[in-house]
Amino acid sequence: MSYTITDACNGCQACAKICPVVAISGEKKQRHVIAQTLCLDCGACGRTCPQGAVLDQAGGKCSLVKRSQWKKPRIDEGLCMSCSICVENCPANCLALREPLRSKDRHLHPFLQKEKACLGCGFCESDCPVDAISLVWA
Amino acid sequence: MNRGYMGKILIVDLSRKEIREERISDEVYEKYLSGMGLAAHILYNRIPAGADPLGPDNILGFVSGLLTGTGSLFSGRWTVVGKSPLTGGWGDANCGGTFSPAIKRSGYDGIFFRGMSKTPVLLYIKNGKAELRDAAKYWGKDTVESEEALKQEFGPGAKIATIGPAGENLSLISGISNEKGRMAARSGLGAVMGSKKLKAVVLDGKQRIVPYDKAGVKKLSKSCNRWVQFQIPLGPGLGLGLLGTLLRILPTAMVMDGIVYKMILRTWGTGGANQMSVEWGDSPIKNWKGSNVDWPMGKSGSANPDKILSYEKSKYHCYSCPLGCGGICTMPGRGGETHKPEYESVLAFGGLCMNDDTASLFEFNEMMNRAGMDTISAGTTVAFAMECYENGILTREDLDGIDLAWGNTSAINALLEKMISREGIGDILADGTRVASGKIGKGSETYAVHAGGQEPAMHDSRMDPGFALAYSAEPTPGRHTIGSYLYYEMYQLWKTVSGIPKKIPFNLYFKDNKYKAELKQAEESAACSKFTNVLNGSGLCIFGAFLGSKRAPTFKWLNAATGWSKTPEEYMEIGERIQTVKQAFNVKHGIDPKRNKLNDRALGREPQTEGANKGRTVAIEKMLSDYWSVYGWDRATGKPTPQTMARLGIADGQ
Repeated sequence: MSYTITDACNGCQACAKICPVVAISGEKKQRHVIAQTLCLDCGACGRTCPQGAVLDQAGGKCSLVKRSQWKKPRIDEGLCMSCSICVENCPANCLALREPLRSKDRHLHPFLQKEKACLGCGFCESDCPVDAISLVWA
Repeated sequence: MNRGYMGKILIVDLSRKEIREERISDEVYEKYLSGMGLAAHILYNRIPAGADPLGPDNILGFVSGLLTGTGSLFSGRWTVVGKSPLTGGWGDANCGGTFSPAIKRSGYDGIFFRGMSKTPVLLYIKNGKAELRDAAKYWGKDTVESEEALKQEFGPGAKIATIGPAGENLSLISGISNEKGRMAARSGLGAVMGSKKLKAVVLDGKQRIVPYDKAGVKKLSKSCNRWVQFQIPLGPGLGLGLLGTLLRILPTAMVMDGIVYKMILRTWGTGGANQMSVEWGDSPIKNWKGSNVDWPMGKSGSANPDKILSYEKSKYHCYSCPLGCGGICTMPGRGGETHKPEYESVLAFGGLCMNDDTASLFEFNEMMNRAGMDTISAGTTVAFAMECYENGILTREDLDGIDLAWGNTSAINALLEKMISREGIGDILADGTRVASGKIGKGSETYAVHAGGQEPAMHDSRMDPGFALAYSAEPTPGRHTIGSYLYYEMYQLWKTVSGIPKKIPFNLYFKDNKYKAELKQAEESAACSKFTNVLNGSGLCIFGAFLGSKRAPTFKWLNAATGWSKTPEEYMEIGERIQTVKQAFNVKHGIDPKRNKLNDRALGREPQTEGANKGRTVAIEKMLSDYWSVYGWDRATGKPTPQTMARLGIADGQ
């Protein structure tokens, strides 16, 4: 079960604009719909809906959070094994690799390259096999 | 139920320009896994007998792996499959990079192309929508230029598999590139892509890949990563060369623990073995005719691991790999980025061609990556031409004025350029040693080192007869990534799988034992190939598996990702089924398994008179018979018996 949109939707299109996989469609000022097969459950629509019209996978009502306050990934380079899973799995392509900050190690480590593009979905955190990433309040 | 696989494939008909999805039942995954297993099942049943590998009936597949994207480590490998134009039988090529998760994130476990387009096209998938687009503007560009231009058009998030000029020109030794030079190089599948006028596959999917037990997979990965990070300083690279010398002199060999090789890979990448392999007789020299005597430390120093590493700017990790054996290097002398040349490429253009110019090794590697040509086959073909030239079979006139003396760097460069563009002699050499020797004649067949049409890798079958068996018995012959006695030692399968020969790591044994061709050695080789099929069905890397089957817990990862509760023996049976289907594919397409036997020189017939492999001969006929019988195939013909097909539940496939 993916995210869904209720009758409370006023068709403002904020969710459709932020959805990273263009899974949300609808006419302006009309109720929008989320394509179940495309939705990633990233939750960005729920956090951005001013009407509280988005329900999560469990049917819980999502709350609006100001984007500047969305959680962001913090990467522990000591734990990171440079496997790039987080970089590749990021739906917003906001992570990239760079040389480590504190060592001469040649293995590249991820960092939040495009902070404003981050959706705060937490996929990087949940997908990291060694728990080197945690989402923290911005 | 989430089981780590996507449950569907995409079928693209390039003649009709039709694209459709197809659901795959859970039963198929249980029998074949995903990746190469799934592909073997599909190609065996769907490519008609006798299909022209470069015709519309051939199917070219790009498959991911069952474990890819589930949180397991080393699971970033993808496989290209099709009927090989190089061997006429089963063809596959394996590659790392970023393309494996991209296939699954587009929603599929595999993307299969049939038919042929009249004009260049590419497949683009984004947000659940797949479409064919015109690719005329990319045709003619090399793989790096293509990838850069495609990223300009489709965005930096696009993951790309593309051919270069070699594939476009239908070179039978061409491959498919990802990440500007990670190559699915073997089996000549670049030519199949070229024949279909398919320039590239461009994927920008973002779907989630969900395992059955994510926490369980993670726990296993954490434990495995501790072994990957375990590292002891290994000293200078020269030390490994000297170790190779010692191993050559001693009458005994040691059961290798893969943790040692892991530490070499972590430090230098595959190039760590460059000099060591020459010294202990693992690397063929001078078109397999020479030995370490012809290529002493002073010469092999051109490929000293530290020397290669001095050009490395950063490590390169394939998706989900904690090891990072790859590297991004600066091109010697002229700047610009390139992938660190792998062991195979360095030795194919180094010792095999008697070339001791380090910078040229980088140049040839980059040249092949950009052209989309297999470095193993290309290097072997150049070495073949050099020997023909030395013996007057090819003259300077035949070679358009090129003085193809051993080690002549500029001549190799000129010849490779001709092979890529199929100009002059290059047109003959662009299809590998078997086709070239067939056209040249005059006794050149003796110098054409191949197995069933494919050139073997830079691991001497006279040093490890397990390689001779893999080169000769694998449905895609000439492959070094299937098994060997050394691989069996490193996989440590006996620690998890019952009923197979046991070994004691670091135990010493007399080298002569390797040449006895006992049944137990066939059992070891069969266990290797079964396991490799499991790895390729899972999308796992053999370098990860070299850690040992307990430290890199392949079978446990599979159970956690799928929710199955299969035993290691049951997984090995899946590997057996995949191998048998590939062999049945060859039989269906008229390949005589005996015909794939490696050529005499590489089997030590006549034995070498000096060097590390002096006096060694491989009893390949006995080994093949034993190997086939372990698989339940006819021990005289190598064909799977009806009883074995029935036991493994493989349908006729006709």
